[in-house]
Amino acid sequence: MGATLLETLRGELGLSGTKIACGEGHCGACTVLLDGVPVLSCITLVHTVGEREVTTIEGLREHPLVRSFVRADALQCGFCTPGQIVSAAALVGAVPEPSREEIRHHMAGNICRCGAYPRIEEAILTWRD
Amino acid sequence: MARLIKTEKEVEGRYEETWVVVEEDVLDQWPAGPLTVVGQAVERKDGLERARGEAPYTADLKLPGMLHAAVLRSPHARANVKRLDLEPARRSLGVRAVVGPGDVHVLTDEPRYPGQPVAAVAADTFRQAREAVKLIEVEWEELEPLLDPDEAVARGELVEEPRRFERGDLERGLAKADVVVEAEYRTQTLLHNCMETHQSICRWHGDRKLDVFISTQFIWGVRERLADQLGLDPDDVRVVCEFMGGGFGSKNGPGDYTYIGAELAKRTGRPVKCALTRREESLATGNRNATIQRLVAGAKADGTLTALGGEYVNAVGWSGFSPMTGGPMQYLYACDNVRVVEHGARLNAPPNAAFRAPGFVEGTFGLECLLDELAARLDLDPLELRRRNHLDADPEGRSYSSKNLMECYRLAEEHWARRDTVRARSEGSWQRGVGLASQVWFGGGGPPSYAWVRVGADGRAVVVTAMQDIGTGTRTAMAQIAAEELGLPLDRVEVALGDSARGPYASISAGSSTLPSMGPAVRSAAADAARQILELAAQRFDKEQRVLSLKDEHVVASDGGSWPLGSVCELLGDGQVLGKGARGPNPTGMRVLTFGVQVAEVAVDVETGEVRVERVAAIHDVGRIVNPLGARSQVEGGIVQAIGHTLSEERLLDPETGTVLTQTLDAYRMPTIADVPEIVAEFVDVPDQHLTNLGSKGLGEPPIIPTAAAIANAIRDATGADVRSLPVTREELLRALREARERVGAVPA
Amino acid sequence: MELSRPSTVDEAVAALGNGAVALAGGTELVPLLRDGLVRADRVVHLADAVPRGIDGTRIGAGTTLAELEVDPQIPSALREACRLAASPQLRSMGTIGGNLLQATRCWYWRLEFPCRLHGGDRCHAAEGVHREHAFFASDFCASAHPSDPAAALVALGGMLRTDRRELPVAELYRLPTEDDRSTTTLAPGELILELDVPAPEASVYLKAMDRRRWSFPIVGVAVARAADGVRIALAGAAPIPWAIASEADLDGATPLPGTAYKLDVARALVRRALAEV
Ligand SMILES: Cc1cc2nc3c(=O)[nH]c(=O)nc-3n(C[C@H](O)[C@H](O)[C@H](O)COP(=O)(O)OP(=O)(O)OC[C@H]3O[C@@H](n4cnc5c(N)ncnc54)[C@H](O)[C@@H]3O)c2cc1C
Ligand code: SF4
Ligand code: FES
Ligand code: FES
Repeated sequence: MGATLLETLRGELGLSGTKIACGEGHCGACTVLLDGVPVLSCITLVHTVGEREVTTIEGLREHPLVRSFVRADALQCGFCTPGQIVSAAALVGAVPEPSREEIRHHMAGNICRCGAYPRIEEAILTWRD
Repeated sequence: MARLIKTEKEVEGRYEETWVVVEEDVLDQWPAGPLTVVGQAVERKDGLERARGEAPYTADLKLPGMLHAAVLRSPHARANVKRLDLEPARRSLGVRAVVGPGDVHVLTDEPRYPGQPVAAVAADTFRQAREAVKLIEVEWEELEPLLDPDEAVARGELVEEPRRFERGDLERGLAKADVVVEAEYRTQTLLHNCMETHQSICRWHGDRKLDVFISTQFIWGVRERLADQLGLDPDDVRVVCEFMGGGFGSKNGPGDYTYIGAELAKRTGRPVKCALTRREESLATGNRNATIQRLVAGAKADGTLTALGGEYVNAVGWSGFSPMTGGPMQYLYACDNVRVVEHGARLNAPPNAAFRAPGFVEGTFGLECLLDELAARLDLDPLELRRRNHLDADPEGRSYSSKNLMECYRLAEEHWARRDTVRARSEGSWQRGVGLASQVWFGGGGPPSYAWVRVGADGRAVVVTAMQDIGTGTRTAMAQIAAEELGLPLDRVEVALGDSARGPYASISAGSSTLPSMGPAVRSAAADAARQILELAAQRFDKEQRVLSLKDEHVVASDGGSWPLGSVCELLGDGQVLGKGARGPNPTGMRVLTFGVQVAEVAVDVETGEVRVERVAAIHDVGRIVNPLGARSQVEGGIVQAIGHTLSEERLLDPETGTVLTQTLDAYRMPTIADVPEIVAEFVDVPDQHLTNLGSKGLGEPPIIPTAAAIANAIRDATGADVRSLPVTREELLRALREARERVGAVPA
Repeated sequence: MELSRPSTVDEAVAALGNGAVALAGGTELVPLLRDGLVRADRVVHLADAVPRGIDGTRIGAGTTLAELEVDPQIPSALREACRLAASPQLRSMGTIGGNLLQATRCWYWRLEFPCRLHGGDRCHAAEGVHREHAFFASDFCASAHPSDPAAALVALGGMLRTDRRELPVAELYRLPTEDDRSTTTLAPGELILELDVPAPEASVYLKAMDRRRWSFPIVGVAVARAADGVRIALAGAAPIPWAIASEADLDGATPLPGTAYKLDVARALVRRALAEV
């Protein structure tokens, strides 16, 4: 099988902000944006990316969500966090003031084993504060 | 002064008496309540690094020349290797070394659980290593696995001797009871599934010095066990863990993968990373073992417990330990007649490992459900039943260092009182109810643990200790404690941790012990540094040292005068103030425990068996709260994990072959953000006066303990159904509902 | 492994000769390739060849579930089926064409037990752990079809257009047998191009899962009311999407010991769905 986008990001490009936790599409730790749409880089073949723009956590470091995650204590071990922030960035990009229901629907693909979810919800609700 | 004492050490509920060198803890506790920094809600020190994806986890480290390992694991639960040919792997592209049984002590040709390591490969890339592993030729002789825990107990297949605990006389207690309830509870096998899989990198310097970068909860434990196994001087093993992505009890030791990596690194002369895949994680890194609990309780008509009995079977797996599943029955209630027997069944299944309050999570489910079944029979309020059986003193005659469980119950009243309104919101097939459960656990920590505090001419402090922050926020808590003692704002204190070559010995981050073990050591180190700064200030400003103190970055004299801290520190030039501190002993002859209660509200769809947890109120008594923000996160995280344990998670084995069927996260279902209820976290927040200079106990485990029982009790409140088996799948709930209907139907009109 | 990206249907069909496999969003195929459950030395990326987008009742097979879940032109049963499928990331990658062709989630099959669906002679699930399996048509292979949208499309009477024929979505599926273990009627190299979903008078999709989001259906129930009557189809019920004529048809179910509970769930959901349309 050809290289995945995740392998290319973390390997060749040395961008280790995007995490790998399952490598098979089941957890969301490897979420990146392709033309603003959240996808799982671990099951995206790099050769299918084509002309689309790839945004990783490295490109979102100055996003207000990063601060709001820290403010709300929306992370514990932090391993799922880059993926959470990338998903959240796509959400608030499309819906600047998401409701709790919208947050729960759009963030359900990012597993956090530490269970930081209530704070993650809070961080997204308050991302512009 | 250093002192040699005999003390009781407790890790994850297991006690040992050992000699420990401790230093006196001479500091008085701070007054109760929030202080300047301690007790204030503060952001995580390393939050930005983690959130920005900059924090280097073990998974992110790349050392020059590093190779990658892959492991051949037994696909069978019980088998012998009849023939093994490693040659095809050796010849495979990019392969640098291959090891098999006999080369590393953890590799075996007689695997006794699925996933047990048999051989391993190091190659230039992980993919190459994996491909090479597939080329290894093995001829297996498959043997019939033993998978039934009751059968294992009957056959005497045990990982350790059965443990018995007896107080009074169970039979006599039952005879005295007006009401006796008996039930069998079952809990499932659960997987830790930390997001960062178990992994390490081993790098040798010559053949006597080893560096290990590892995702671990116990830097010093890894150091000691590796040195021991490899015959090295402990000081020649350097263990590093700066950031780690979750452990929950499963990362307390080096693990098979590190022994394998060390050997491969030795053979190749190159650093070797051995990182498990998610599927290997589901096989070979431990689990919370399944249990069968056959319980009985007897009580007087007024609710006074006269007898508690439990026969527990822990389905441990091939190796591991038999957790204290009967612990809650021993520790939670006043009852003169208690008998607990715990069996640890040895099975051809993956070994267990500590998982956030091992034994107590499972045992609390059984006991607290039984208590509610008893309350129903006695027609007593469940909260009142628990109050009536409150244990005022440890049954072995030791006093508690502190116990505020009654206060927890009092704080719970407000949530418990929502019962009527919650039930009244039932409509159609959705029935609502409220349930509660109590919690008891250890969490006092203990010596030894050390810290240094360094203050330089810039007036900043660095706490140095070779501990790890596993995501619980201990890095932040340590900085708060040092800042409080030194009168510094939090941003003037850094914490250097995560490297056995850089700082002194530090406690394991397990058993809710990091804060209660490390916090007092950090405080005493900071106090030592403060004392030295004041010594200098006394000379510089011509004051008596005893009138001086540090506050708000100033040296303050009680008889007038205040000087910026900088004016003293700048005198240091290249010099530094070096404070050192140690964790003092635990109070002798006292029982140090944590307590709490949770109240859960659920909605149950009685037609489809769906359960929604709508609200959980958690009230815990863990002494002084250092960081309310972090503490709330711990409680929420524990409850979220517990909701998975209660409703959706289960490791399943094929009953014929023993194969783990749920190796992937689409099949092993942990909660997502959509499953989270409203969570209210409250604390008694009173320092334990007898425990260290800090008065704090650990909070990592208490919140996960009572949730399952509280939910199950809420389901009974809502529907009358007794769920007795975890997880509460739709199948289990619909079964329990049917049984409840039949019971009602059977009552003569 | 070779990857090609043809820009027309004809080129794609030509490229899908021996040993080649079609790739759409890859959410299903990439893990299967990695695990060796699908073997191919050439992968044909369909992105430029298969239509994508929604035009009235017509849906390009390359349209993602994320696009379907929000489009008001889409009947509510299909929209809801897409909305409750998989995870947000998977929905923004996965296409409707690929969804209809997803393989079973049976853990025995995924772990490569030599079971009937893999050409062997036993159903390991029937004798083993099968709580997520079928309660209809389970005698040969007890797997439960995981697609939510497929059930919705069957109830809605959706049509498929491939590069060589038109057929009702229901006819895309067949029960596996001793002689032919496949669960679809798609010929090798045949491409799904488009769906046509007639607008119903009303439609609904109800899904029971063991988390609030991101789980395969324990049972999914799609009901659509059209001029010619009400159609019901189930997900998670049989090895293929399963149409029933009425609630009473549930009495004919053949559950395994571990799937009897699913029938209770199905009864409740069918009743509710019928009440809603
Ligand atoms: C973890 C997980 C959870 C999921 N949960 C759900 C769920 O709850 N409900 C649900 O309904 N689905 C679920 N899915 C399935 C998901 O929706 C599908 O994987 C996705 O829609 C497949 O689309 P794709 O474009 O990625 O297909 P691909 O992976 O690219 O292809 C899948 C298959 O279809 C073939 N194919 C694709 N397009 C065409 C075409 N136009 N013509 C002919 N053949 C084609 C491919 O050759 C391949 O065999 C889940 C998937 C995963 C991985
Ligand atoms: S249910 Fe089907 S796929 Fe699963 S084991 Fe049985 S035959 Fe194989
Ligand atoms: S690492 Fe990609 S989804 Fe888990
Ligand atoms: S913060 Fe640890 S997994 Fe999310």
